[in-house]
Amino acid sequence: MSAIDRSELDGYETLVSELRATAPVAPERLRERVLEGAPAQRVPRSRKRRLFLVVVPVAAVLAVGAALVHGFLSTGSRPSAVPAPIMRGIAHRRPVYGSAATASQSLRALPSGSQSADKAVSHQPSNAYSGYEAAPATTTPTLGMALSGNGARSSVMIPQHRLVHAVATLQVQVSRSKLSEATNSASQIVGSLGGYAQSVHYEASHQGGGSAVLTLRVPVQKAEAAIAKLGALGKLLSQQVSTQDLQTKLTHQTSAIGSLRRAIAVYEQALQSTTLPASQRVIIQIRLNNARRQLSKVRHARAGTLAFGATADISLLLTTSGHAFVGGHHKSGRFNRLLGSAAGFLGLEGIIVLYALIVVSPLVLLGTLAWWILRERRRREERLLASA
Amino acid sequence: MSDVNALPAAVRPPGRVGAPAFADVVAEHLDAVYRYLVYLTGDRAAAEDLAAETFERAFRSWRRFDPRRGAPRTWLCRIAHSAAVDWFRAEARRQRREETYSRDEAVLEESVFAEGLSAELERALRRLTPAEREVVALRVLLELDGPSAARVLGISGTACSTRLSRALKRLEEEMSDVRN
Repeated sequence: MSAIDRSELDGYETLVSELRATAPVAPERLRERVLEGAPAQRVPRSRKRRLFLVVVPVAAVLAVGAALVHGFLSTGSRPSAVPAPIMRGIAHRRPVYGSAATASQSLRALPSGSQSADKAVSHQPSNAYSGYEAAPATTTPTLGMALSGNGARSSVMIPQHRLVHAVATLQVQVSRSKLSEATNSASQIVGSLGGYAQSVHYEASHQGGGSAVLTLRVPVQKAEAAIAKLGALGKLLSQQVSTQDLQTKLTHQTSAIGSLRRAIAVYEQALQSTTLPASQRVIIQIRLNNARRQLSKVRHARAGTLAFGATADISLLLTTSGHAFVGGHHKSGRFNRLLGSAAGFLGLEGIIVLYALIVVSPLVLLGTLAWWILRERRRREERLLASA
Repeated sequence: MSDVNALPAAVRPPGRVGAPAFADVVAEHLDAVYRYLVYLTGDRAAAEDLAAETFERAFRSWRRFDPRRGAPRTWLCRIAHSAAVDWFRAEARRQRREETYSRDEAVLEESVFAEGLSAELERALRRLTPAEREVVALRVLLELDGPSAARVLGISGTACSTRLSRALKRLEEEMSDVRN
């Protein structure tokens, strides 16, 4: 017993010694009674049982964890049967307007009988932006084209003499028996034109109906041909082509590179001068470093612009008659898309939080209940022992 | 005096390898458990039954006992405490049912807590509540240290210390009352 413990008994030595001296002793009959059931040696827990107690919970946890991961991945990356996201892809592209000399175009071909069945071509006059990028708000330039009843269409013009990025969406209806064939043909068409199929989602029921969504990439120079050939796979239901002019951007980047090179040459020449004061030398050295860094950035950006303008993205939706899908005309601006994206992300966060709450709350509730029961039990014991 | 709170060499880590046989534990701690229960219940017959029940329960959970987590005496006292609380509950129900309270009258005339105990101390002990007698038994008779006694009682070390102090003070007061 420690000194602190002993100090609690200080002042009661007589009492304590009397209590200890006359402590009751267990009667012999009790000793015999208890020893009747006592084993000679303690039986150790079997190794198998111990292993079982460890392995089973670990396996259960692993199984649940793997199921959760699988569920998360499969639900997150599984393409939708209805290819709305693909169709929306165009709306998510942000056209960039250049100077007055360039015009971004969006060409939309509609089936015959629609309200825009005339061959009116409406080019929106571009504002005299001087190299600044601007979102097109609600004035997306469109080129309406009519399709004949059998799906014949006007050829789409994509500027060849300027650097542009083209995005096209086509919806083509094919017969039930030719869905797989048309899907393969589409991949072959873009392959023959120097492009490739970035993704293919094919879905067909045993009755023969179904749809296929292909995300294709072709060199922009071959985009017109590709669109024409892809449209000829069946009955063209809708066609939407957007071009984004990158020429102005490229020109600005090229001229910026030239300016920076010249500045760097001047700085380097200045630094070679022996009469340059030390303070000036430091300043020029800093400017030189900045110019070099800027040059590297602009070069990188120019390479990106060239790469972006090298290919055209084509989203092709092949459907059978039972799976007709009409893509909407998207006019949402960047702000709306941003709001939509943010709302979607918040929704996802909400789902995660809700899921966590659903999973955790019963455990918390059970824990609280157990704690409360134990506390009440202890208090009841206290009351019982204090009042008995 | 040997320190009862220290683990015997046989039960020190690595623990289970050198754990004592249950019969040895019974032989070593039966008196302590019996004393504790006598003080707690104030009834020798009940204490005997409860001691037997305590060791029966201990035997059932003997495989789960880990000497590294506490001394056998503390563990046994904890089981005895639980058994005694059940007994008190049953007694309370029985008394409510029968609406009689003749047990104390019968017990009053004989020595309950120990042979050879002075009459004043015997009576004073009877006047204490079971909770007070319990802490006296644990700390004085069984010589458990504060944390071990607190673990048996399911209260904090400070509360245990306070309860002991009050119990001893009240015991002295009751003794002087009896003398007067």
